[in-house]
Formats: sequence, C-alpha cells, structure tokens
Amino acid sequence: MAHTNINDPLLQEITGPTPGQMLRRRILGHQGLLIGAVVMAILLIVAIFAPLLAPHDPYAQSLMHRMEPPVFLGGTWDHPLGTDHLGRDYLSRLIYGARVSLMIGTIAALISGVIGTAMGVAAGYFGGRVDMVVTFLINVRLAMPVVLVALAVVAIMGGSLQVVIAVLGLLLWDRFAVVMRASTLQVRRREYVAAAQAIGASTPRVILSEMMPNIANNLIVVVTLEMAHAILLEAALSFLGLGVQPPTPSWGLMVSEGKNMMLFEPWLVLIPGAVLFLLVLAINLMGDGLRDVTAPENRS
Amino acid sequence: MKTSWLKTSIASLALLVASGAAVAEKASDTLRVAFTKELENVDSYFNSSREGVVLQRAVWDGLIYRDPITNEYKGNLATSWEWIDDITLEFKLREGVTFHNGEPFNADDVVYTVNFVAKEENGVKTQRNVNWMKSAEKIDDYTVRILLKEKFPAAIEFLSGPVSMYPNEYYAEVGPSGMGLKPVGTGPYKVVSVVPGQHFVLEKNENYHDSPKGNPEITNIDIRTIPDVNTQMAELFSGSLDLIWQVPTDQAEKLATMDQFTAMNESTMRVGYLAFDAAGRSGDTPLTDVRVRRAINHAINREELVGALLKGKSKVISTPCFPSQFGCVEEAAVSYDYDPDKARALLAEAGYPDGFEIEFYAYRDREYAEAIMSYLNAVGIKTDFKYLQYSALRELNMKGEVPLSFQTWGSYSINDASAMVSQFFKHGSLDTARDDQVLADLNIADSATDPDIRVEHYTAAIKRITNEAYWAPMFSYNTNYVFTKEVAYTPTADEVLRFATMSWN
Repeated sequence: MAHTNINDPLLQEITGPTPGQMLRRRILGHQGLLIGAVVMAILLIVAIFAPLLAPHDPYAQSLMHRMEPPVFLGGTWDHPLGTDHLGRDYLSRLIYGARVSLMIGTIAALISGVIGTAMGVAAGYFGGRVDMVVTFLINVRLAMPVVLVALAVVAIMGGSLQVVIAVLGLLLWDRFAVVMRASTLQVRRREYVAAAQAIGASTPRVILSEMMPNIANNLIVVVTLEMAHAILLEAALSFLGLGVQPPTPSWGLMVSEGKNMMLFEPWLVLIPGAVLFLLVLAINLMGDGLRDVTAPENRS
Repeated sequence: MKTSWLKTSIASLALLVASGAAVAEKASDTLRVAFTKELENVDSYFNSSREGVVLQRAVWDGLIYRDPITNEYKGNLATSWEWIDDITLEFKLREGVTFHNGEPFNADDVVYTVNFVAKEENGVKTQRNVNWMKSAEKIDDYTVRILLKEKFPAAIEFLSGPVSMYPNEYYAEVGPSGMGLKPVGTGPYKVVSVVPGQHFVLEKNENYHDSPKGNPEITNIDIRTIPDVNTQMAELFSGSLDLIWQVPTDQAEKLATMDQFTAMNESTMRVGYLAFDAAGRSGDTPLTDVRVRRAINHAINREELVGALLKGKSKVISTPCFPSQFGCVEEAAVSYDYDPDKARALLAEAGYPDGFEIEFYAYRDREYAEAIMSYLNAVGIKTDFKYLQYSALRELNMKGEVPLSFQTWGSYSINDASAMVSQFFKHGSLDTARDDQVLADLNIADSATDPDIRVEHYTAAIKRITNEAYWAPMFSYNTNYVFTKEVAYTPTADEVLRFATMSWN
C-alpha cells in the first residue's frame, strides 16, 4: 500500500472509499449534526473568548441605566441587548453566562460519565455479584427524582457553582451506567475480546484498548444528552434561587431575575430563554448526529 | 425552568378567561386584596409581619388610637386616660362595646390581655411591644390600671399600636392557636374564615362602636396570599383582584400609566439597613473591626439606591431609626458619604487590601440586596449570597450565626425611636453589637419621663451606634398601592392598609 497512490481513481474504484472518507462523507451529509456543531462551536468560542467579546463588564452595575430596552426595541447600540434590573449589560451577561452553562454541562457530564461508565463497564464485564450490585445501585438512583434530590441537597449545602456541578455530576450517572452496561454485555463475548484474553492481556488492557473503542460511540451520545440535561437542570435550580448565586451570570438566573418584569418587559426573559433553548437544541442535534454517523450499523 | 413561567402565564390566561363573569365586584360589595407573604398566625401577638399588622388593625382595637394624619392620640376602647404616677396609667373604658362573638368588653378583658401578653413565657413574638408592661388591675368594670415595669414614656404610642385587646373568656379557652384560626376582636371587621397563610375573609362589623378608626363601608374583604407579583398583576388586569400593595416600583410605574388603575405611593417607617456582626458572635470575621464596618458604609451609594431603585417617597437614612420617630435625632448620626476609594483605603488599613469573602444574608427585596452586593463587590468584598425566608433568617440571627445581613424594620409603625433602636441594641438575641455604652444610654432614654432627657440619651446612643458603624442604615421604604378606579382609598404613611377607610367610587 505504501507505494500506491490512494487518490488513483482506478484504485478507488476497486477498493472503494477508505473508512475515513466514508466517515467524512457521512458527517457532511448529516444536516442536523452540522447545524448542531456549528452552533456549538460558536457558543464555545463565545464562552472561551468571553472577556474579549463582551462589550462591558458583566458585573458593572449602573442603577441609572436600568432596564434599557435592546436595540431592536428602540434601545441604543451601547447596550445591544439592553440592560438588566441593575443596569448591567445584558449581552455581556449572556456571553459570560455561556461560560457557566457550558462549564456546568461539561464538568457535570464528565463526572457522571466517569462514574457511570466505570460502573456500567464493570457490571457488564465481570457480571455476577458485581452486576447485581451495580444494577441495584442503578435502580436506587432511578427511583430518586433528580430535581427533588438536587433541590434538597442544594438547599442544605447552599447554592454555589461548585455545589451545583458536584450535585449534578453525582446524580446524572444512571444513563451512563445503563447504556455502558448493555454495550459491554454486547461486546463482551466477541472474538477479539477472547483473542486478547487468550494472548494474556490484562483486564484493564482488554477493557481499555479492546472494548472501549467499540462502545465509545454510545458513550458520546449519552455524554451529549447528559450535558444538555445538566445545563437545563442548572437553569432550573438557578431559576428557583437554589443554583448559581448572584452576581454570577447564569441564564437560568437571568430568566428568574427578569421574571418580575415579565408582563411589561418580556425580552428580559425571552433573550436568555432563547439562548438556552438554542444551546440545548444544538447539543441534542449533535448527539443525534454523532450517533447516526458513528453507529456500526451505518458503517457499511 | 421554562415550564414554571409558562405555567404562570397559562394560569393567568385561564384566569383571564374564567373571570370574565366576575368583573366589577363592587356589585357584590367585596373588595379583593392580595397579600404577598404568608401570614404565620393571625393572632397579632404571634406574628411579626406587616400582613399581621394590617389584620390586627382591622380585627382588633387598642385602648388608644393615633390618627395617622394628625398624629393625635384619641380614645378608642378607652375614653380617657391619665398617669397616676410614673409607672401607673389609668383608663376609663368605653361602655357598650361587644366583641364579635357577643362577649361584652370590660375591664376583665383588658386585665386578662395585658397580664397574658406581658408574661414573657407566653412567648409574644415581638417582646419589645409588650415587655414594658408589668400587669393590669381592675378598679371597677370600666376602670382599669396598667402598671409598668419602669418608666416608659412611649407607653401611649405602644398602646395605640400593637397592643390590642382580646376577649378574656374566649382567649383563655382557645389560646393563640385558636385565636389564629378563629380571630375574635372588637374591630371594624370580623373574620369569617381563615385558611392559615392563604385566605382570609372579613366581614363588616355592623355593631362597630363610634371609633376614631371610622365606620367601615365595604361589606366584605377577601384576602388571598399570592406570592408572585406577576400573578397578582395578571389577576388585577383580569378583574379578580381590586387592590394590591407593596407593588415593586418598576411595576407600579407601569401600572400608573394605565387608565383603569390608581397607583399611589406613600412613605413608610420601614428602614433598610445592613447589620454587622460587630460583637463577633458568628466567629472572628473582619466585621469585628470598626474600620471594615466604616468601609462598607462608605462603599454604598445610598443616593443612587434611593434615586434609581426605591424611588417614590423613599429617603436616604443615616440613623438606626426612622427620622419622624421621637428621639430619632438625625443630626446625631455620623453619616458616611459614598466614597469607594476611601472604603478600599479603610479595608487596606484594617489588613484587607484585597478584600475578603463573607456570607451575605437577605430575606426580601432580592433586587436591592443584589445592588448592595454589587457595591460591596466593587470595593473587593466578595459575597456568598444567602437568600432565606424571614423566619429562617430571624432564627439564624437570634442564634448569632449571621455575619452580615440586609435587614429592614418597620417599627410596627410606632412613632418612637424606642421601637427600633431599643429593639435591636439592648443586648437582646437580635443585638449584633452588644455595646454596653449604648445599652446604658437606651436604658435611660427608654424610661425617662422628661422628653429632653430622652432626646439627650437617644442622641448619645445614635451617635455611638453610627460612629462605631454597628449598622449601615441606608434608606426608608415606600409602598406602592395599586387599585382599580372603583376603589376610593387614601393610603397613609405608615404601611398599614386601613379597610375601614376604603369605599367604592
């Protein structure tokens, strides 16, 4: 192969496209995935470069300029999305709020992913007692209403960014565990696993380098779902006053703070609500798309 | 999260539709009012909320009444009174008054009520209101004497405010919890039904005596607790409420522009302040250092708070009491101008050049609390914000676990500095300063009969409190009353809804 030119049209006709090319083609042909990815990428860039992009300090209060309308409702370009109830620039708070949302989504999904994957894979791989214990734990966890438990814990511990991340991370591992357990069970008896075991590979090696690559596509989907879930839960908790505490800009908190003026200044609620909707939609589109393009049944 | 406000709007839409038939309650002579906070117990001695004061003034009467406009004391359940000596007050009672349950009012009721509430172990919520009385004794059926523990010149003011008269036989039988469920008084309105914390229905007392409160005109008052201001306004729009009060200024300003509503603003005696744990009860926080407390005083832009947030008839306050109160000498207070640089310098001098982090508690007006927080953040003080229910924060405060909090006090509309300064600076459980010098001055000021001596010692106490910056007094509140054009009402400057003076247009 080293000497052949893979771009040779004749050769391509004989061998067909490489797996990489096929993947690229599937990705580019998937509209949902592309839209989701573009929106996510934009929000990610906004979050990372928040200090450069925000026109004002998101914490700078100016009571003399409270609740100025956004530019499309007759405001000025000085505050393109208007100002909030304390005269803080709405656009800047929105931009910094993206950081909070994405950070909570990512870290919470990471924590719950590590916990859930470890449990699920262990249950699927070892079976027997381990499986029983893990299944029991999953059932216990599924029996608890997430929002209620999160509310109770945050109410006791006091709301803050760290507490919210920890609570969500420790609560949202159930889907990881369920999915990873099922996936592991599927590949557990495959020939390549048996082969690896036969040549004397250690258990961690079998799991990490033989099984994980083959079940990772499921993991990716669950990660995106849980990320969206965590972001919505943070917004809900903050809306109820138990999540991120002011003055930290959080979209849920912005909706909550705008709520009082909802009858007269609905944009105070609509703007952060819309952005939140957009982010969650983008994450879900991306998750769906990734599942479609990476699922083994679509590879052929 | 979206579902939450979605639900509210759907609910209000549904109400809009459903209430089409219920418009114009003038026809059924029922005034529908909303309370924002849940009232724990209607028994006025066992709640400390403004809603409680409103019901207390409607359902019960005191011996004396202070005209809210002229500030003149008039006889209500008493027809006359005189000081027998420095600690004995004698009252001639009004004859022919009956309680809502038919029990006649006489000296026994006064004796029973005073003896009950004055006893500390009976647990009246705001001890300041009653703990100056020792006991009462009956001279004859319509003559009674109230004995004071010590000299207390503000007695008349307290007797015309929070001290109302309860029916002895009924109260002895049902106690505070029974009184909370089926209140019985002599007032202009009798209570028809109570759903604790939620719904109160009052009916005009047809046999109301010739009281300075005036005779009630509107037959029924229907009060519901609606915690969300938007829902209150939606119901006002839809015609299922006639009057809302304590409306946030932003919303009131918008409502005022609408033809079908009257929006009125009145000042109140409520003062908003920051309380510092200067005594260090919550641990050795930076707030035990006077320089830090002064720094915080300098960090807050009171003019901006009043001008842009509170608006209306609010004023900048630098005293730990409301300036109209007797003894609340404004000149005595050390006032701190807005100077963030000075605040930072003071913090640096105290050893906190980079500021510090501290828990910041509040229980109402989240918006004001956030604005205050922002001033603190601006000089480097990081705040860990805790927003609690009033009763929860009060509890924590009594245990001395609150380093810094945004508090307000309405003095029960008592026009005497003792209702505020002495409530918080006489080493009670809510005293965050515990200053002996202040205590000594207040002891003299509270009990002296010579007004000049009182003023002199309140002045000294106020000077000391503000110089040591035990508090950061900030502003006085105003209240917005919004009601439909069908309602005729002139609010008074004391944050009390007076149903007896309301009528239909």
